[in-house]
Amino acid sequence: MLDLAKSRWHPIAAAHDLPLRHVFHGQLLGREFAVWRADDGYVNIWENRCLHRGVRLSIGINDGRELKCQYHGWRYSNRTAGCTYIPAHPADAPARTITNRTFAAVERYGLVWSAEEPQGEVPEVSGFAEGKLLALRAIPVNAPADVVAAQLTGYRFQPSGNIDGSAAKVAVEASNAFSVALRSSEGDASTLAVLFVQPVDSNRSVIRGVLDSEVEGAARLAVLRHHNELLSRLRVAVEAEAAREPAPAPLEPIIERVSPELAEMPEETTHGRKATIRVQVTRKWSAADGIAGFELRPLKGLLPTFQPGAHIDVHLPNGLIRQYSITNGPGESDSYVIGVKLERDSKGGSTCLHETVREGDVLAISEPRNNFPLRRDAIQTLFIAGGIGITPLLAMAQALNNQSLGHELHYFAQNQAQLAFPEKTKTLGASLKPHLGLSPDQTGAKLREILSGYGPDKHVYLCGPGPMLEAARAIAAEMGWPETAVHFEYFKNTNVIDDSTSFEVALARSCMTLTVPAGKTILEVMRDAGIDMPSSCEQGACGTCLATVIEGEPDHQDVYLNDAERKSGTKIMTCVSRAKSARLVLDL
Amino acid sequence: MITLYDYELSGNCYKLRLLMGMLGVEWKTVPVDFYPGREHKSDWFLKINPLGQLPVIDDDGLILRDAQAILVYLASKYDASGTWYPRDNPALLGEISQWLAFADGITGTASAARLHDALFYDFDVEAARAGAHRLFRILDEHLWFGEQEGRNWICSAAQPTIADIACFPYIMLSEEGGIPRQDYPAIRRWCDRLKRIKGFAVMSGVFPAGPAKAA
Repeated sequence: MLDLAKSRWHPIAAAHDLPLRHVFHGQLLGREFAVWRADDGYVNIWENRCLHRGVRLSIGINDGRELKCQYHGWRYSNRTAGCTYIPAHPADAPARTITNRTFAAVERYGLVWSAEEPQGEVPEVSGFAEGKLLALRAIPVNAPADVVAAQLTGYRFQPSGNIDGSAAKVAVEASNAFSVALRSSEGDASTLAVLFVQPVDSNRSVIRGVLDSEVEGAARLAVLRHHNELLSRLRVAVEAEAAREPAPAPLEPIIERVSPELAEMPEETTHGRKATIRVQVTRKWSAADGIAGFELRPLKGLLPTFQPGAHIDVHLPNGLIRQYSITNGPGESDSYVIGVKLERDSKGGSTCLHETVREGDVLAISEPRNNFPLRRDAIQTLFIAGGIGITPLLAMAQALNNQSLGHELHYFAQNQAQLAFPEKTKTLGASLKPHLGLSPDQTGAKLREILSGYGPDKHVYLCGPGPMLEAARAIAAEMGWPETAVHFEYFKNTNVIDDSTSFEVALARSCMTLTVPAGKTILEVMRDAGIDMPSSCEQGACGTCLATVIEGEPDHQDVYLNDAERKSGTKIMTCVSRAKSARLVLDL
Repeated sequence: MITLYDYELSGNCYKLRLLMGMLGVEWKTVPVDFYPGREHKSDWFLKINPLGQLPVIDDDGLILRDAQAILVYLASKYDASGTWYPRDNPALLGEISQWLAFADGITGTASAARLHDALFYDFDVEAARAGAHRLFRILDEHLWFGEQEGRNWICSAAQPTIADIACFPYIMLSEEGGIPRQDYPAIRRWCDRLKRIKGFAVMSGVFPAGPAKAA
């Protein structure tokens, strides 16, 4: 019977068991759950173990957006249960496979319902009007569910309208292995009570009762106490009965290592940049003067977990592919919000989004990639944004703000009207520092002021127009900031690419040697040879097609690597960079 | 200055550290090696407390034993707000005393199970666990109806009292004695609320709560 029960919906909590910033400890058919309501109202039902060391997440911290494990601080996102940060690896973006198992969650009749392998919908109860019901105090019982359900058919109570009476007639309207519907009537008063039995484990259950009508005022408490008293008394009898039998062995749920869908490798293709997700533009608005905001919601299922600094490829109706940073704060996982500036010298990307794409349109996007990860182990973090460079930094600042970690967001723009996403920046309070209408010289002076006073464990993140980034990086270097503390992301690569060289590329793992002729990139040659390599901007700015160099001297033409990384000669952006030596050996 | 004769892993000592922290009282600690040294049964300690039990405080010469008694003393003397032990409210004082005795019951059951599991005491652990579950059922019901009536704490006051402090530690440490709190959701929510009181401090086995949602 309990095997069949896996496909049925069962109540696992009452709605009032899930106040904000709390984690409820649930269990169904032996499987434990960490159940938490995010600040946006979403109810998360997760396997009750951290993927790291198996510690129960029900003792974790619900910060309203993410759930943090108490043991080593791994953070998991609202909705997706994907890991967003691992404190022991502060410089790395967690792999997408680090995603906890989630279970279906439906709120109905004042209860929260779930199932391991749900079939169909939460059972319809005739005579139950949503919002006008009264959920009783749950009664945990140390007895098998079927024993409890059988006993409940004999449950006798007074209708809510005549709680002090004693002559109610109670009729069983329906009953099955996991619920009993009883109607109690005396005089004019009549109450339908449905008592659901949650099979917690082979020998443990919870009685979750719901009455067909809400009761107001002092009578409400009297009704709740009436049922609590009677059900507690019934529990004593049921537990005594169950104790006469030998206790059945506890159920042993199977804990999946990683979901099959995450475990499988992406399909091998040679067609380059993939757009596996379909989203609808559910909102398009003016996020600032010259900047359009787009809210993208999935056509089905959930969007993948993102981390602050991540970007997506957006495949446009005109065939162009453009990269946009996700601006969302942590846990805002129901949609991606991007900001697009209309470029004066647009090659068709921003014009298309501004002029052609409308609310309701469907776009194809890639999974989020994070080549601009945010460390959260700094004593102080500075964000320096120029214009539309605000977008990745906005996501980062919201993440640090949520964790009450020290940061400042310096936002350079021409004027107030150009400050994008005021509704998001407003939540940052005093950490937002706008700098408006500065000339290049004044900007330089301001950057000098901001970047003065480098200390250990300070980090700065830069995103903005090329000249501003060059200036900020030069000033930071001058002020004593080590390269490892200066993180940056360019919008685009404005270097003139010299692709006139020809050289040989040996792929060490693939046992393949290829010749890269003039006019073709390493990436293109690898793709032609059937090597699937992820890429995104394909102009040396985003960092997606990074490869490790084992031997040979790279000819760097990108704007992703910093000077130290370039000099080390161990990394190369395969979409633009080439070789100074006749041969390059890559770890691919 | 108050001197606390303290054992880091003792829930009863933790009660006093908690209240003193919340009241902003300063104290110094004399560590007593309860396990494995059994220093609480040593000659020097028996002179201070002939019962050979922790905690004990020495407040400028006034020596007091028994966690619940010390809570009463500390709140009466050092709580300027008068909310932790409201001396002018007899009904509330009665309620507080009732739950202080209940806290002793928790110590006799949940703490005993923990001593059995963690420090190898020769107790009837099954009886201790069953006793703790019986008390937890009563407290969970009490707190659940409290929530329905808009009451956040054990006693019918708008602010927490020393009854909350007295009950908290051995409930929070119950899993170390093999007593899960899964069946007591109202207790679990009350624990979150208590952890959010300003001045709250953790001990080994007691984890912090995150911040409440800003109003």
